[in-house]
Amino acid sequence: MLFSKQLPIAYNKRFLWAVGIILAVLMVLGPVYLLIKYSISDIGSINTGGEPIPLWPYNPTLQSYIYLFTDKHFYQVIFSSFIVAFSTVVFSMVIGVPAAYILGRYHIPGRKLVLLGIISVRLFPDIVSVIPITEFFINTGLHQTFAGVILAHSLLALPYVIFIGIGAFESIPLDLEQQAWVMGANRYQTFMKILMPLAVPGLAAAAIYTFLLSWDEFIFAYYIVFGRQELFTLTLYLNGIKHAAPQNLLAAISVCLSVPVVIFSFMVQRYMIAGISTGSVK
Amino acid sequence: MADLVLRSITKKYGNTTVIDKLDLEVKSGEFVTLLGPSGCGKTTLLRMIAGLETIENGELFIGGKNYNNTPPQKRRIAMVFQSYALFPHMSVMQNIIFGLRISKAKPDIIKQKLSWVVPLLHLKGLEDRLPREISGGQRQRVALARALVLDPDVLLLDEPLSNLDAALRETAIEELKRVHRHVGKTIIYVTHNQVEAMTMSERIALLNAGRIEQYDKPKLIYDFPKTVFCAEFIGSPPINFVNGEICVEQHYSGVKTEIGFLKLDRERTEKIHDLAGKKVLVGIRPQSIYFIEHLAQRRHTDTHIALTVELVENLGDRSLVVGRCGDGPIVRFIMTREEDVLPERKMTVFVDGRRIHLFDPLTRLNIFRENGTI
Amino acid sequence: MISSFFCNSIEWIKKAWPLIPAALYLTGFQIIVFVYLCTLSFSDQNIDLPSIHQYTQLFSDNSFRQALFNTVLFTLIGTPLELLTGFFLALLLYQSFFLRGLIRSIFLIPLAIPALVTAMLLYILFDYPGGHINHLLTGGYPPFPAFLSQPVNWRGSALFAMGISLLGKVWRDMPISMLILLAGLNSIDPELFDAAKTMGASFRKRILNIMLPLMLPSISTVLLLRTVEMWKEFIFPYILAGRYRLLGTLIDFYYYSVGNSHKAAAVAMIMVLCILISTVMLFKTLELMQKAIYKR
Repeated sequence: MLFSKQLPIAYNKRFLWAVGIILAVLMVLGPVYLLIKYSISDIGSINTGGEPIPLWPYNPTLQSYIYLFTDKHFYQVIFSSFIVAFSTVVFSMVIGVPAAYILGRYHIPGRKLVLLGIISVRLFPDIVSVIPITEFFINTGLHQTFAGVILAHSLLALPYVIFIGIGAFESIPLDLEQQAWVMGANRYQTFMKILMPLAVPGLAAAAIYTFLLSWDEFIFAYYIVFGRQELFTLTLYLNGIKHAAPQNLLAAISVCLSVPVVIFSFMVQRYMIAGISTGSVK
Repeated sequence: MADLVLRSITKKYGNTTVIDKLDLEVKSGEFVTLLGPSGCGKTTLLRMIAGLETIENGELFIGGKNYNNTPPQKRRIAMVFQSYALFPHMSVMQNIIFGLRISKAKPDIIKQKLSWVVPLLHLKGLEDRLPREISGGQRQRVALARALVLDPDVLLLDEPLSNLDAALRETAIEELKRVHRHVGKTIIYVTHNQVEAMTMSERIALLNAGRIEQYDKPKLIYDFPKTVFCAEFIGSPPINFVNGEICVEQHYSGVKTEIGFLKLDRERTEKIHDLAGKKVLVGIRPQSIYFIEHLAQRRHTDTHIALTVELVENLGDRSLVVGRCGDGPIVRFIMTREEDVLPERKMTVFVDGRRIHLFDPLTRLNIFRENGTI
Repeated sequence: MISSFFCNSIEWIKKAWPLIPAALYLTGFQIIVFVYLCTLSFSDQNIDLPSIHQYTQLFSDNSFRQALFNTVLFTLIGTPLELLTGFFLALLLYQSFFLRGLIRSIFLIPLAIPALVTAMLLYILFDYPGGHINHLLTGGYPPFPAFLSQPVNWRGSALFAMGISLLGKVWRDMPISMLILLAGLNSIDPELFDAAKTMGASFRKRILNIMLPLMLPSISTVLLLRTVEMWKEFIFPYILAGRYRLLGTLIDFYYYSVGNSHKAAAVAMIMVLCILISTVMLFKTLELMQKAIYKR
C-alpha cells in the first residue's frame, strides 16, 4: 500500500497543514482557471483599455471555440497532429513492445547495459539532438515531412514504451508462460495468446503515453517541419500565431491542446507514476 | 503411458551442483514422489523432466526414447505448477482446452475430453468462471484437469497442495489418489510434505543436496531408513538420536547408550556379534518408546529407561512428552492421554528393541541392509 | 576467443532477436547524433578540416558567455526550488485524510498540461502593459495592495524574463519531484517516527535526524534528474525570455536566426559537456554527504 502510512503531526500543526493544502491547490488550479477564463472571454474583457482585466469575463462566450471549429485550417492542424501522434504510436509500439518483452521476461546478457542506454537516450537534451537529426533529415530528404517528425517522435517515445512495457511484461508470472510451453504452445503462440492479453493494460498505457508525448511535442516538430505551414501540428500552430492572435484565441487553442492530454494522463496516471519511478531507479 | 528413466543426471549453476549424478527409474503408471527439504533439487529435477531446465549431463528417457534435447512443447508430459498457473484471462473451460486447441484437436474430441474430465474433477458448473472467481481447491482441480486432458505420458506435479489449507489438503489427497487409480498415469509428484508423500505415493525418492538418499516404498522408508538423513526427515515428531556402542556379552548383547543399555531383537543381536565395541548412532522413534504401568506387560526385547519429564506438549488425542535421562540427552516420546503427566515427574518408559535403528556415525548409513544382513 | 565470442553472439541473437529493431533504432540515432555533432562543431562553412575554431570563437562571444552564465544561474536556483516545492507537496500528501486521492490528482495537473501551454499562459499573464500580473501589482484588484506605480515590462527585462521562465519550469515540473519524494517518504517505516517520539524527539528533530537522512536517496535522485532538466531547458525561455538566452535557446538562435549550424552544434556539445560535468560533480558530492551522514 503506497499511501497507507503517514507522518504523525501534532494536532496544533493541523491548521498549518490545512493552510498549506489550500495554498498548494490554489497554486495549481489558479493558472488552470485563468487559462479557461481567457478562452471564454469576449474581446472586451481582454482589451480593457487600462481597466483591470476582470477575474470573470464580462460576457462569457464560446466565440473563440466557435471560430476555431468553423476554421478549416484548424481541422487540418488537428488532423496533422493526430496523424503524427497515431503513426508514432504504431511505429514505436511495433518496435518497442518486442524489446520490452525480451527485457521484461529474460535475463539476457547485457540487459543492464541496454537499460542504461535507454535511460541515457531519455536524459539526452532534445534541443541538442534536434540539430544533428534535422541536419541528417535534410541530407536524407526527410526534412519537412511527416515521416521525419514521426521518426523523431518515435525516438523520444521508445524509452517510455520500453520502460512501461517492461513493467507490464515483468508483472506476468513466469509460470504462466512455462505452463503454456508445457501444454505445447510455441513461443509465438505463447506470446500472442498468453502474454499479450495479460500485458494489454500496461501496453495501452504506453500507447496513450506515446500519443500524448507526440501530441504536445514542440521542439522536434518545429525543427523538422521548419515553417512548412501545411504540415503544422497543434503546437506549431499555437506557436506560429502567438504574436498575431488575440489572447482568448490563444487560450482556446491551448485548452484544445491540453484537454486530451489531461484526460488521458489521468487514465494512465498509475503507469505514469511507475514510469517516473522506474526512470528514477538508477 | 510410459516409464521414465533418468541416468546420471547432473545440474550445475556456476560452481554449485544442484543435482549430482542422479539415477531414477519410474515404472509405467507408477506414482512416485520426489520428497526432500527445500533446496534439495527436487523442483529442478522436475523442471528438467518437463524441459524447462536444460540437461547438460546425463540422459532422460521417457518410454525408451531419449528426450534430452526435446523442447517442452514436444514432450508428451503435462505439469501442474505450484501456483497452478491458470491463465487469468481465460475461463475454466478455456483453460482446460487450451492445450487441445494448441494441438488443433477436433471439436468433437475436445467435447469428449471435457465430458470426461469435468465430472472426474467435480468442475461442473464452473466452466464459465474465471480463475479468480473460484476457490483454491477448485483452482487446483482445474490445473489438474488441464493437465489430464492432454493425455500425457508422464504427469508432473510440483507441490500442488502447498497452497491449500489443512482441511482442503486432506480431501485433495484423496482426490488425487482416486484420479491416479482412475487414469493410471505415470505421476511424478514433488513435495516437501512427508504426509502427502507417505499417503499417496507408491514409491518415494527421498532427496537431499541433489542426491537420492533412499528410493523405496513409503512403509519401507519409515521402517528401514537407509541413512541418518532419512531417519531424521521422515516421521513426526522427529526421531531421537543418542550415541552408543555395540556391546556383546554372553547373555547381554545390545547397545550401550547415553540413556542406558538397549536390547535388540534376537535376529539382529546375532548379527552384531562381529561389531563389538563399534560406536553407533542410535535412532529411536518417539512412537517406539512407550509407557506401561506393569512391568509384566513388557516384551522381552523391551528395555526400560528412567527419565525426568521436562515438558508436555498437548497434541490433541495424545501428548508429546519431552524427558531427560539424568544429565544425558533429551528423549521425546508419545503418550496416550489416559495418563496425566506433569513436568518434574520421574518415570520409567520402555524402548521397543525391534524398532531401534543403528547407524554408522561416519558413513551415516544404516548398519543393517534392507534384508537384515550387515 | 573470437570464435567463442561469435558463438555467443549467435546465441544471443537467437534469444534476444525481438530486441534488435529497437536497439538498432536507438543506437542508430545516437550514432547519427554523435557523428553529426562532432563533424558540425569541429568544422566551419569554409573550413572542412577538423578545427576547434567554433569553440574558440564561442568563448570570446559575449552572448555565449551570457547564456552560459544564465543557464548556470537558472540551474543553481531552479533545482533547489523544484526540490523544495516537491518536498512541500509531498509532505502535504504524507497524511491520511479525506479526499487525498483527489488532491494528489490535482497536484499532478501541471505535469499533464503541455509545457508550451503553460508557457503561453504565462506569456498572457505577464503581458505588458496590460496583463493580470501588472494589474494585480498596480492595485487593480482591491483589497490586494498596490506594489507598483507603473506596470513592468516583464518579458523585456533580463531578470524578470528569466524569473518567469523559472516560475513556469518549476510549476510544471514540481509533480515529478513530488512523486519521487513521496515514494521515498512512503518507504520509511512510520514506526521510526513513533519510536523517536517516545524518546522525546521534537517535531523538528524528527524531521532533521530521521526523515532527512532516510530521504537522502530520493533527494539525490531528484537533484540529479532535475539538474539535467534545468540545463537542457528550452521551451520556457524560448516563449518567455526572447532575447535573454539560455544555452538551449542560444542553440536555437544560432541555428534558426543566424543560420549557423556549426556554431549551434558547438553550443550543443558544450551543453552536453556541462551536463556530464555537473552530474558527476553532484554525484560525488551527494556520495560524500551520504557517507558523512551515515558515519555520524
